[in-house]
Amino acid sequence: MTALQLTQLLQSVLAQSTPILLSALAAMITLRANILNVAVEGMMLVAAFTAIAVGGLTGSVWLALACAVVAAIVMSQLLALLTLRFGADFIVAGLGINLLASGGTLFMLEYFYNTPGGLRPIAFPDIWHIPAGALSFVPILGPAFEGQSLIVLLGLLAIPACHVFLYRTPTGANLRAAGEEEHAARAAGIRVGRMKALSVGISGLLSGLAGAQLAMDRLHFFLPDMTSGRGFVGLAATLFGAGEPWLTAGASLLFGFFGALGDRLQAFNLPSEFVLMLPYLAAILGLTFARWRIHLLSRPARVAEEAA
Amino acid sequence: MMQVRTRRLVQALGGPLAAIVLTLALGFVLVAAITDQPIEAYRELLFANFDSLGNFALFLNRATPLTLIALGVIFSFRAGIFNVGGEGQLYAGAISATVVGVYLSGLTPFLLLPLSILAGVIAGGILGWIPGVLKVRLAVDEVVTTLMLNIITLLATSYLANGVIRDRSSYGAVSRMVPQSIWLPSIPWVPQATSGFIVAVLLAVATWVVLFRTEWGAELRAAGTNLRFAQAVGVPAARRIIASMWIAGGLAGLAGALYVLGIGHRFEQNFSPAYGLVGLTCALLARIHPIGALATALFYAMMLNGAAYMQIETDVPRSLVNLLTGLLVLFMTARLRAAPREA
Repeated sequence: MTALQLTQLLQSVLAQSTPILLSALAAMITLRANILNVAVEGMMLVAAFTAIAVGGLTGSVWLALACAVVAAIVMSQLLALLTLRFGADFIVAGLGINLLASGGTLFMLEYFYNTPGGLRPIAFPDIWHIPAGALSFVPILGPAFEGQSLIVLLGLLAIPACHVFLYRTPTGANLRAAGEEEHAARAAGIRVGRMKALSVGISGLLSGLAGAQLAMDRLHFFLPDMTSGRGFVGLAATLFGAGEPWLTAGASLLFGFFGALGDRLQAFNLPSEFVLMLPYLAAILGLTFARWRIHLLSRPARVAEEAA
Repeated sequence: MMQVRTRRLVQALGGPLAAIVLTLALGFVLVAAITDQPIEAYRELLFANFDSLGNFALFLNRATPLTLIALGVIFSFRAGIFNVGGEGQLYAGAISATVVGVYLSGLTPFLLLPLSILAGVIAGGILGWIPGVLKVRLAVDEVVTTLMLNIITLLATSYLANGVIRDRSSYGAVSRMVPQSIWLPSIPWVPQATSGFIVAVLLAVATWVVLFRTEWGAELRAAGTNLRFAQAVGVPAARRIIASMWIAGGLAGLAGALYVLGIGHRFEQNFSPAYGLVGLTCALLARIHPIGALATALFYAMMLNGAAYMQIETDVPRSLVNLLTGLLVLFMTARLRAAPREA
């Protein structure tokens, strides 16, 4: 493989991974508060729609990005309100958010824009990309970063940010405590509900960035259900990465790599479906393996029985 | 005795009815806000299904997979398993029934029809069994495994429908037809309505009998209500839970097989408008009661089909129903009063 090919592969891995990475971190933050967040997909979709709608209307890239993130956070807080205050089941309500997002965006396409097929503004502002040649002094890696959007950089920065937040700040410690042992945390004076709402809110923020990246980076249009399961790949990456920021990021890059590989393998007549399955298989196997190890470790010893 | 029974019936029907009325009211407000003919729109949404025998047949066809999936969900939820894998199990059943029907088309119909249905049931059952056994033996979270298996199954069927068993002469990811000799007959007095609906009604009654009138069902419910207590009093809870997941997957697989044999006559990659999730919704709306689930499935079938008639007759887009479904699922499990504990 030549250096140019390697650069191109890295470039497409980065581009493919960023929405997955952001949605994985979104699912990770709630997982640490003991919430399986299945709503990332829906929040991403709402953000993608808002980004295109606002960007097309105002022509302002910053307004589009801000509104996308805010829309996703609003969805996340709706979810938090229903589950934490009104006792709705988190999985059911989360799936409800997904349905609401896909149904609501489709409804708006049909009703306001009269275009059920998708939304393509005639002019859409460009988000800031790393200019070509700016990083050419770094071999291989530099050119791979050129042309990537601002959100790609934000996504990469979010990994250490999540790590620092979870392990180096009091709020992060409280959040983890609320997730690991709710009653003890409550007894220690931690506001468990508020911590969980915060984790869902951060999840909304990251999902919003993921959705914005999906719609704003190159495509500049919105299609119904355009997230096409990326939120669930992110969830798979989080579960495979055991809820650790760096492991989760690694898993997202790996799954993004599969995605980039899938595009290339089609040239070799290998069905892309099987490559696309890998993240989900990895999540099931990773989880099973982790549980199996715990199972082995906690098995009662047989020594006495054998001696007898 | 009679009074107790009546009260139970009212309880089983009251919950779903309240949720349905609430959703319809909310939907009416939405419709009234966007169109000047809300009454007309709602008439189409609710009653156009009964305008003609043809519409009525389509309505029953829509209700068939929903009922069967909801019954499967009821089995698993009663055993304490949060099974969200209906969609994957449905697809597995549909594709397996199709593969058997297409590849063994030389067999006599008397053999091929049961074989094809059995293939669907077993394929769905296996997809239920995997999360069940992982949950019971290793405590792997079943929500994750069923969700992931859904996507894996959809990708696998997409591969098969796009290549292996694809009908080259038609457009899109569509399989070859299953032989006409094994198409399910229609209901005698409603042409075009699949007799699969009768199967679904019978199975709803059977589910009620099994769950509430047999010792086996009582043990299954005991495993779901209080696992440790059930184990302590000698109920083979692990076996009951795994069996419940076999049945849950099998029923969803049957839904897929009956869809192929009775309605589609072939596998289509996008044949399901999220039947899995809507079936789950029907089951939960009915407070996981089989007879109630039959009622909610009929209601949902009415809404899904009515939306199309509404779009034709008025300027209300059909995706209104998707929006309403989202709201319904979102609010479905919420309690009306705020949780008294700290927020």
